[in-house]
Amino acid sequence: MNELGAAVPGTQGSAGADPDRDLLARLAMGELEALEGLYERYRTMAYSIALRITGEPTAAEDVVQEAFLGAWRNAARYVESRGSVKTWLLSIVHHRAIDLIRRRRPTDELPETDASGSGGAIPEALTLPDVWGSVVEGLDRTAVVAALAAISTVQRQALELAYYGGLTQVEIAERLALPLGTVKSRMRLGLLGLRRILTGTGGAFADDDGAGAS
Amino acid sequence: MSDHLVAGLHCTEATDLAAGFVLGALRPSEMAQVRAHLGGCPEAHPEFAELAAATPALLAAVPQVEPSVALGDRLMAAARAEAGEVRPAPPAAVAPTVVTPPVTAPPPVAPRRDWLGFLRPARVPWALAAAAIVIAVVLGARTLQLQQETSDLAAYQRGVAAVIDAAVQPGAQLAILAPGQSAGPNGLAAVGADGTIRIAMRDLTPTSGNQVYEAWAIAGSAAPLPIGGFQVGSSGSAAFVTTGPTASGVVIALTLEPGPGATTPTLPIVVSGAAQGHPAG
Repeated sequence: MNELGAAVPGTQGSAGADPDRDLLARLAMGELEALEGLYERYRTMAYSIALRITGEPTAAEDVVQEAFLGAWRNAARYVESRGSVKTWLLSIVHHRAIDLIRRRRPTDELPETDASGSGGAIPEALTLPDVWGSVVEGLDRTAVVAALAAISTVQRQALELAYYGGLTQVEIAERLALPLGTVKSRMRLGLLGLRRILTGTGGAFADDDGAGAS
Repeated sequence: MSDHLVAGLHCTEATDLAAGFVLGALRPSEMAQVRAHLGGCPEAHPEFAELAAATPALLAAVPQVEPSVALGDRLMAAARAEAGEVRPAPPAAVAPTVVTPPVTAPPPVAPRRDWLGFLRPARVPWALAAAAIVIAVVLGARTLQLQQETSDLAAYQRGVAAVIDAAVQPGAQLAILAPGQSAGPNGLAAVGADGTIRIAMRDLTPTSGNQVYEAWAIAGSAAPLPIGGFQVGSSGSAAFVTTGPTASGVVIALTLEPGPGATTPTLPIVVSGAAQGHPAG
């Protein structure tokens, strides 16, 4: 009964051929059932990300709907070598949710718009060499949450303001009344720390919070 | 590594922006500049991939919340409409104006125009046409609501079937979830040997706003561990899958929380039950 359970980290897609790529190939050929299949697999993760960022169920549902439609329209543009279907799809959700909250607040620069208008804009941040396979896939959510809890509070705060709050590093520095270099350093050390904990190549290293960097 | 100047950025400057770039935390013009630098720079810039490696963890770490059953129906209706498979289903055409919130970019849905055109024959007096529209809208809304309730009920039934399927697997445990009092919401939870926990519930009070029902696993004397949340529509039923501890006799409980991500339960406990193995397991 994967229609109910597949969207939970650690319970999906680890064995055998990659069912996501099969779904995406069918999606690229215009099969609506494939869209339904992809939605059933990732609806919970997609909605959870959208809700975490937008903070509103209605907005989150709109984001998810548009993200899946965008993925459907752009299935043919998915480039396998740049990452898993899961990362690609969830990055579209993330990108759309961030786009929405940034448009809601006054900024000096509007977010980048998807030039094609097709909803397939993907932040390059997540189309770099893929890591679900090596870092996150196979770990349950509890392990990921624990890893996030193991980095220092100030590093986590910087990552969260950027990644869930949609703030730029300059905005984070202004909000926290910190030098920009400190914010950059916290984000960098936070990401490296998270990776190190998740890949098991080192323990928690909360000792350096970048507070002294400039 | 040489410090190439590409797209107005030196390699050292691009590297300095790497964390902000992989998090999407640069101004759009800076994002574009870094992207152009990476596209044209002869250096491989492995630090970008190294930093990006952790971002999926940030996606995976968010509290898990189930969307409403209606969202899947809306998505598929929108996709069908866009694919040209517009079906003669008035509720789908009425939905964006009556029940569901407006989507950010509604696809061109032909039926609405057809439907209004149908109500606009020249000889129908205006008041009658207006009344017809009101009735049609009300009926459309009601039909939508019934569709959603039917859909939610079907999801609950599938959820119960999934719980039972999971509970009969080797090593699995089953919990009957019920409130302290005799009446109220009730349901089942299956705790699989692999840590998959499936919950099917009915008669829950619908959530509103950001409210979620948070599921908790309580193993022995350990503190309650939040294992995920879900929202409930007007049907009061829900089917939810998450992961959690597999300890023998683990207690599964639900609380109603003001938003996702609770770390301690807000009392009262809505329902709870201790998981028990079966002889074959």
